[in-house]
Amino acid sequence: MFTRVSDLDRLFGTMSLLQKKLNNLNSGYGQSSGYKWEIESNSPRTNLYENGDNFEIHAEVPGIGKDNLNVKIQGNYLEITGTRNSDAPEGYTTHKIERGMGAFSRTFTLPADVDSKKVEATLKDGILYLTLPKSEAAKQKKITVS
Amino acid sequence: MDKNQEITKKEDENIEKTRELYEASPTVDIYENEDEILLHADMPGVVKDDISVNIDNGTLSLSGVRKLASKGLANWEEFSDVEYIRSFSVPQTIDVERVEAELKDGVLRLHLPKSEAAKPRQIEIKTA
Repeated sequence: MFTRVSDLDRLFGTMSLLQKKLNNLNSGYGQSSGYKWEIESNSPRTNLYENGDNFEIHAEVPGIGKDNLNVKIQGNYLEITGTRNSDAPEGYTTHKIERGMGAFSRTFTLPADVDSKKVEATLKDGILYLTLPKSEAAKQKKITVS
Repeated sequence: MDKNQEITKKEDENIEKTRELYEASPTVDIYENEDEILLHADMPGVVKDDISVNIDNGTLSLSGVRKLASKGLANWEEFSDVEYIRSFSVPQTIDVERVEAELKDGVLRLHLPKSEAAKPRQIEIKTA
């Protein structure tokens, strides 16, 4: 039985299309095409580190002043909200706008409860640094073997 | 036996390790008026000393390296050390001598002034 060449061609065409799609999915770090699959493009990317008695959250918030950022904590629930105002100057024509603007919100469930009174937040070079000490109940305890 | 020894020696020499740095293109906004072209680029976490801006032969290239201090064990990591790289074609009419750059809150703002010759000029019509 013969297989028509056009059928084969179509098969390979579909395969390369699929491959292209897959490549686009992992098109590299920080590129908008791949990145949009993960989280809403407007919400900031974050890192969570655990460091003994503290959690550390770092969030990318370029161009956002501290007055436009809000952090709420309750137990192990953390919410970062904010607004990014447009910094478009007056009297200029626009060629390109890629930087997102407007309100954003991200919520997290931390692995353990934190002591909301001792949380510290600093903003430096467009990155928000949150230090969240674990609550007493969630801290590690050393047990001596008798 | 001899071969084995050689292999261990090589390993000891290899102390210096370089970490691969991701490359990403920063998102930008570009504006223009009669006097200048304005470029805003997001580069969160990059400090002033690690940014370079070059204009050469009609190409503007930006580069900024972000070095984050790692803190403890990562539960999740959505961003890391990165090199922001992006190039643009700029018109030859940019006055390279007067280009200004400022960095605030992780946003790089570049002012690219147009040279006097390139500015639009109103022509006055004389009546005969």
